[in-house]
Amino acid sequence: MLLVPASPPDSVALETELLLVQRLRDRDEGAMTIFYDKYAAALYGVILRIVKKEETAEDVLQEAMVKIWHSFPSYDAGKGRLFTWVMNVSRNLAIDKIRSKQYRVGSRTQPLEDSSAAQRLAAEPSFRPEHIGLQEMTRQLNPDQRQIVDLLYFGGFTQSEVAEELNLPLGTVKTRARAAIKVLSKLVR
Amino acid sequence: MLDVQHYIESGILEEYALGVLSADERAEVERVAQQEPAVGRELAAVISGLDAYAEAHALAPPAGLRERVLEAWENSIRETGPPAAPAAPVTPVVPAPPVAAVPRMSVAPAEPAAPADTEGGAVVRQLPAAADAGRIRWLIAASVALLLISGLGNYLLYSRLKETESSLQVAQAEQSRYAATQQAALNERDQQLAILRNQAFRSVDLKGTPKAPDALARVYYNATTKAVYVDVRNLPELPEGKQYQLWALDNGQPVDAGMLNPATATGDSIQQMKNIASAQAFAVTVEDIGGKPTPTMSTLTVVGNI
Repeated sequence: MLLVPASPPDSVALETELLLVQRLRDRDEGAMTIFYDKYAAALYGVILRIVKKEETAEDVLQEAMVKIWHSFPSYDAGKGRLFTWVMNVSRNLAIDKIRSKQYRVGSRTQPLEDSSAAQRLAAEPSFRPEHIGLQEMTRQLNPDQRQIVDLLYFGGFTQSEVAEELNLPLGTVKTRARAAIKVLSKLVR
Repeated sequence: MLDVQHYIESGILEEYALGVLSADERAEVERVAQQEPAVGRELAAVISGLDAYAEAHALAPPAGLRERVLEAWENSIRETGPPAAPAAPVTPVVPAPPVAAVPRMSVAPAEPAAPADTEGGAVVRQLPAAADAGRIRWLIAASVALLLISGLGNYLLYSRLKETESSLQVAQAEQSRYAATQQAALNERDQQLAILRNQAFRSVDLKGTPKAPDALARVYYNATTKAVYVDVRNLPELPEGKQYQLWALDNGQPVDAGMLNPATATGDSIQQMKNIASAQAFAVTVEDIGGKPTPTMSTLTVVGNI
């Protein structure tokens, strides 16, 4: 089926990524424009999914860009892809944001599916045809698995917090999380 | 001796990838992943799976945001002073960038020239030609200046070239990625077309019930391979939190044939459903997201006999 992007574009993408890393390391300011064009959509999508408000998502994306530039010397290309690193920096900022006071009130127990941002995201047509679509991915996950991945990835919950939240044994949460992530990684292999 | 399987199943790799571990725990995972190839492979798979999930949520940011974000970022680096100088020594591993080498080369000749000139001996020897010395000094200064200017020019041209090269590479990468996915999409259409043309598939029209008289869907069923595809022509818009579910009716018993994706329900694509061993009719009901083990008959939307 169409799930797996063929390997040539992947290696090209990797080469582009390495080039960008080199330029960021050289503190080449022009690299940030390329960085934005390449990663902003992915970062913005995840940030919005976490903070759920467009205005906040825009602020967090802005903070993330500044933070990525300043802490770039601490990025170790030997430990993982640039994408993974910048995504984690952005996710952490977004999660810090929802854990801050004004966000906490009542929002934690609300399931993610109900948020208007989630609805909008689900309705969004696949505007980036080069990626495995969200629908394609979620079609492969059963609802239990998806709920757990979403709580872990977008909710900033630990596995024990998810267990508590869903009233499930920790072992079950771990098994489901593992199964879900396995499905996701099979799709990209 | 570490029990690799047990370690993998403990869930710690997922926690690593989700970023919920302490620095010490992270370092430990990295150490184990390096020592045990099986752990390393598993960790890489977990990370790429989550990366892909993140990427699948990509969403174009609002139009004006690009300028705003880049401007704010630029202001922030101006505020915190010149970052280039202090930052550069942090990465000594990287071979010195060629751009830095160019101006340095052009400066070099100036240094030996200056001390040689101010040496007492040189002045004594050139006493009769004091005017010449002045001219030579002027010539040296002029050539140093020229050298500097040409060095600067080279540097500017070089960085412009680098910039062009990398934007070209980015553009080429994007382009070939796009081509690959277009090809993939085309392959999927070809597959769908093959189903429609395949004699082994029977098409079953599902007509609207009195609740939704205009509703219409079609099921393609292959009794030999048991494959089932659904193609929606027109189904009413779903209330929030609901999803369409397809049922096969076998000797009057409803059998779950799977949930319709939102894209399928709006008629954007044909979807393969669960394999069905035997059926005399198909039907679609409205159920909670994720589906039900048995159909809610009051929400029956379309139905049709084979």
